[in-house]
Amino acid sequence: MNHAPPPSVAVPVVTHKATDAEKFTDKVSIRNLSFYYGAHKALKDINISLYQGKVTAFIGPSGCGKSTLLRILNRMYDLYPNQRADGEVIFEGENILSPKQDLNLLRARIGMVFQKPTPFPMSIYENIAFGIRLYEKLPRAELDDRVETSLRRAALWEEVKDKLTSNGLSLSGGQQQRLCIARTVAIKPEVILFDEPCSALDPISTAKIEELIDELKSDYTIVIVTHKLAEIMECADRVTVMRDGRVVATRTIDSTGEQELTQLMVGREVNLRADKSAQKPGAPVLQIKELRVEDETGREKVRGLSLEVHAGEILGVAGVDGNGQSELAEAVLQLRKIKSGQVFLNGIDVTGLSVARTRAAGISYVPADRRHVGSVTQMSVADNAILGSQKKYAWGLFRSISGARKSAESLVTRFGIRSSGIDLAAGKLSGGNLQKLILGREIVRGSAALIVEHPTRGLDVGAIESVWSELLQARQEGKAILLISAELDELLNLADRIAVMFEGRIMAVVEPAADSVEAIGLMMAGIPAGGTLTTAAAMKETRRDETL
Amino acid sequence: MTRLFERRLTPLDSPLAIFTTTTTAFLAAMLVTSFLFLSYGASPFQAYFALFHEPFATLRGFGYALVRASPLALIALGTIVSWRSGFMYLGFEGSFVIGAAATGWLALLTAPGSRVGPLPFFLFLPLAISLAFAAAGIWAGLVGLVRARLGGNEVLISLMSNYVAIFILQYLVSGPMRAPGSLPETPLFPRATWLPFILHGTRAHAGILIAIIAAGLVWMLLQKMPLGYEMIVTGFNPFAARYAGIDVGRRLVLAAFFAGGLGGLAGMVEVLGAQHRLMDGISGGVGFVGIIVALLARLNPLAVIPTAFLYGGMSVGADAMQRRASIPSSITFILESLAVLFVLAFDALRYYKVNLSVLWRRSPPPVAEQVSK
Repeated sequence: MNHAPPPSVAVPVVTHKATDAEKFTDKVSIRNLSFYYGAHKALKDINISLYQGKVTAFIGPSGCGKSTLLRILNRMYDLYPNQRADGEVIFEGENILSPKQDLNLLRARIGMVFQKPTPFPMSIYENIAFGIRLYEKLPRAELDDRVETSLRRAALWEEVKDKLTSNGLSLSGGQQQRLCIARTVAIKPEVILFDEPCSALDPISTAKIEELIDELKSDYTIVIVTHKLAEIMECADRVTVMRDGRVVATRTIDSTGEQELTQLMVGREVNLRADKSAQKPGAPVLQIKELRVEDETGREKVRGLSLEVHAGEILGVAGVDGNGQSELAEAVLQLRKIKSGQVFLNGIDVTGLSVARTRAAGISYVPADRRHVGSVTQMSVADNAILGSQKKYAWGLFRSISGARKSAESLVTRFGIRSSGIDLAAGKLSGGNLQKLILGREIVRGSAALIVEHPTRGLDVGAIESVWSELLQARQEGKAILLISAELDELLNLADRIAVMFEGRIMAVVEPAADSVEAIGLMMAGIPAGGTLTTAAAMKETRRDETL
Repeated sequence: MTRLFERRLTPLDSPLAIFTTTTTAFLAAMLVTSFLFLSYGASPFQAYFALFHEPFATLRGFGYALVRASPLALIALGTIVSWRSGFMYLGFEGSFVIGAAATGWLALLTAPGSRVGPLPFFLFLPLAISLAFAAAGIWAGLVGLVRARLGGNEVLISLMSNYVAIFILQYLVSGPMRAPGSLPETPLFPRATWLPFILHGTRAHAGILIAIIAAGLVWMLLQKMPLGYEMIVTGFNPFAARYAGIDVGRRLVLAAFFAGGLGGLAGMVEVLGAQHRLMDGISGGVGFVGIIVALLARLNPLAVIPTAFLYGGMSVGADAMQRRASIPSSITFILESLAVLFVLAFDALRYYKVNLSVLWRRSPPPVAEQVSK
């Protein structure tokens, strides 16, 4: 079967300026959309319109459902079993979710650019021509023409015109991403979806892609998912904030700013409900001095950060995802190489020890990713209960299986883990129960310091309450707790002090109080307390002054 | 919408479910192979009788089955250690050959009149075991080192290293270790170095005892020792392993060393128990069949011995079948291959439910995903 290109594909006529609010027309309307991963409801009653010729951005913390939403728009979820969508997504009068939908045609009309560049392992020319040939039969000259236009459209032509036959994989990361954009554009889609297109790229390539998205929006309806505020302010027309599978708010870019978006993302309604007893913090236990850490691409993610956590204290680290929080946690555990700076535990320098020694010295860690880092989902609850302390549960060369089982039993009882026995595979536990297992394991190890990263992400209310009370209990016992979270609510309820992190640095350390919410929100967006909202350039200036 | 194959929310992983699917797969493989027997005008019942009678009901055949099972079991154990640690080692042909060559060198060294002279067997055997294990372990450990340090692909490197090892053996038996004569092989090893025969009137040798002890040790390593726990965690999830303070690189190298070592033991058992000399082509594919045995045993060290025995027995029975029912013995290869394919394919039944009712329902299937050109 040879599909003619869809008739409406020809470059849409743009009759209005981007700011002309009255002429917004629906390109895609999402109505009462819910989405399930097995039994887990990941999207809850989403209603939103994507406008013709506009850039709509979706923003929100990891796991809020924004990428899931994107994958529904071109039915990517169809590739996976056990995933199901309810509701309607109307695109040009047709429901995308209908089983009658021709997926190949749909994916040609709604193109997608992924987080990591994914060129085909073939020549640059073939990377583009391959997709065109799937949908159209073009004479050679026209094909050449289309390849050139697409590459020009993606601002890549000048860089590659002399080496069209060389392999697409030989390009730099940024060039590869633009090649993927050219590939998408070549099929003449109506809508282009971008899933965090810049998160794997360096700043210069990022700027180029942002510029490119801004140019493309005159011809295409664009949807972009990201958790970078700067990226949104740069290239979006409208922004929708999501939390926990729901749409929190939608704003036009002119009517909002980075601080409002940050506040929407971290949640406004702060409900002080945890009963935290007053407690005088003890001596400093965990000290971090002038820490600098790089990510895989060599970008500095933690930039000269210093913190001090005392015994019997919860120090909260607030910040929008991706400002270096996870790199900080991993570096303290020695899971990530420290470029410079030091970590002290009870006054002893633990910088550069092995992970095992760091743990043995007395630093415990509850990682953000409980299913892929914090536990081995294929192994039993009993085996997971000793993960990280496997050397302790041994007599000489042999494991103390009964000791391990006893410790698992006591974890299950003490932390109220609902499990049909300790031989159940840990992956079968619900998120909340798995988290309680990991948190409990790290608490009972008897470490002086505990680093906890996004402990309640994706959990239901009941599980959140019990994780919170366990953390407060550990504080009572005199542990020094570093709590990294993107939920302001959580930090205000639990922390004794809150350090606000932005671009790898601590903006300030503040007392948790209901009236500090606004200041924290501002600082999370990079605006120092008492500072005024200025242009991005001026903001950067302020930041530079601060560090000097 | 009901589909023909519907994914189960939780896979069936009870021992009964595993036993049922495996047995059904075997029976299905035998059923399909029956049609091949028919095409030779032979009765499938007679053919299967010939296939199973000789190895499992005659003493002589039983002995041969044990001889074939010993190296298979050892290689399967090596596969289990390395694969469960997340190291997909495929170089067992090579480690078999290296282990055999090291053993051969030692055995000829103790020949009467050579530099060292005869050793008592209780000294020679531990020496041979250590040497074969260490030589082949280091051979495979190098592959582990490349993977752990440089991120190389162990599948490709270990597969290619098989050829290198085989060429090394070819050189040895046609050059420095060649016996005077026309064939590329070493002299016969001194009688004192042979593994004792354990069943009177058969060729069965003590190699099977070594395999059984090794199976117990591997089981103990994986189930009862912290080291094995760390290796299994590494295999399941290297990120969680690193988080738990496990040195992932070292565990990989160790897994490679153990895998190679067990492959080397297989080579030692073969030359000391069955061949009693080194020759070109001594491995003959046993390094790959051993991997299949491990897969059929579902990477469970205790299931390896019966599986290897069944597999060894079937290859003995194949020869008997050829003699008695004049059916080409290569049909057994087809049966064995079908068994592996079916066992792996029938695993899907533990993950998917089959809704046969879809087949007889008259309504047309949904035409959602036509592939357009």
